[in-house]
Amino acid sequence: MLTKKVKSRISFLVISIVLLITSVFFILNSLKENVLYFLTPTEAKFKEDLEIGKNIRIGGMVKKGSIYADSKEIKFTITDFKNEILVSFSGTVPNLFAEEKGVVAEGKLKDKNFFVADRILAKHDENYMPPGEKNFLDNNAK
Amino acid sequence: MIINFISMNGYGSFVWLSFGIVLISCLVLYLKTKKTLRKYEKEFIAEFETLSESNKKAVLEKSRIANQILATNSRAD
Amino acid sequence: MIKFLLPSNIYFFLGKIIKFINSIFFLILIIGLAFALVLSPPDYIQGDSVRIMYVHVPSAWIGLASFSLISLFSILNFVFKTKNLYLINKSIAPIGLLFTSLAVVTGSLWGQPTWGTWWAWDARLTSMIILIFFYVLFILSYKLIKKEDLAVKVSSFLAIIGSINLIIIKYSVEWWSTLHQPASLKLGNSSSIHSSMMLPLMIMLLVLLLYGALIFLMKYKTEIIKMKKKNVKRL
Repeated sequence: MLTKKVKSRISFLVISIVLLITSVFFILNSLKENVLYFLTPTEAKFKEDLEIGKNIRIGGMVKKGSIYADSKEIKFTITDFKNEILVSFSGTVPNLFAEEKGVVAEGKLKDKNFFVADRILAKHDENYMPPGEKNFLDNNAK
Repeated sequence: MIINFISMNGYGSFVWLSFGIVLISCLVLYLKTKKTLRKYEKEFIAEFETLSESNKKAVLEKSRIANQILATNSRAD
Repeated sequence: MIKFLLPSNIYFFLGKIIKFINSIFFLILIIGLAFALVLSPPDYIQGDSVRIMYVHVPSAWIGLASFSLISLFSILNFVFKTKNLYLINKSIAPIGLLFTSLAVVTGSLWGQPTWGTWWAWDARLTSMIILIFFYVLFILSYKLIKKEDLAVKVSSFLAIIGSINLIIIKYSVEWWSTLHQPASLKLGNSSSIHSSMMLPLMIMLLVLLLYGALIFLMKYKTEIIKMKKKNVKRL
């Protein structure tokens, strides 16, 4: 049914697409470090070439009950439920910053467990619902 | 009530700005597309008018689209 | 079926469909805006800024869907050499560019009150910017290249390369850590959007789809007239 010309075009196309996908895959793989927007506390802990004092981003959940704020600074713990990092920040946090919500902190590590942030971003999750419908979340989790 | 609706608990400027941008840019693209369509319809008719009577007849017999374009444009005018 | 797809046959339906969309469009637009801005509840964390989602998400979907269609048609055009597909692609591209840009702009307007920043160079946001570049290059390729054969080749090449970026956009939020949240709607999974917010989202999607269809049909009509004009000269 297909003519010879059409068949040769299809095979040319398939071969070039396969080559293209493989090359993009390798490029992305080598760029992996740069593509990550933030490191989780676990990644930060086990990353060997992590320079203390270099600007990085740490992301995870704000640990429940870990927020301490006074007039000068706000302190809280970022956790990924395996490891955690204590963060200190002076400045205003976004409205959505809260306990047990996602957060990304930009700044420098002082040591493996203490992070000084210049900027706090709130990371929103994918759930959308009206107030007072928490059980929607629980149903959804199942 | 109305002030509440406009301010949206402080998010008003962001919400209204995004809906405004969407509506306005959609309207602009619509008008631009419509203008281009009209322009080409007019050009097509101008081209058609330059033909001799016998050629006009030939085009109309051969092409249903030519018929359509001429018909829609005379209605619009 | 093939006969039905000939431009001369399609042309007759274009006018009718355009009229039909025009007649129902404003009614649906007003219903959509009423649900999106008034009737739907605010979100439990984001408050009223969730309403931006009702234009942001449909715009992003249409931007991605348009490029998927362009890529698919470019592949088919490459294999079967049907000129009609090229005309269709030229008619889809402006809609895709508009909606991808709108998705980025409205997303930025949502990000400022929610994340606390207008912009972040994470994988999702960056790959959307790359999609805009692909649209611009695609449109420039047929605007600037006068030789049609060459324009078809260059634009198809761009569309096929660009389809890989589509895959990256789709999975960026799952493969890498990004500031952007993962997809709320997944095939085969229950959605994490409450039904009272799903309704306005779907109506706004319908509104923007109808708008996109309208622009597409008008552009396509223009392309057919352009083609016919050349044929008249030749007679």
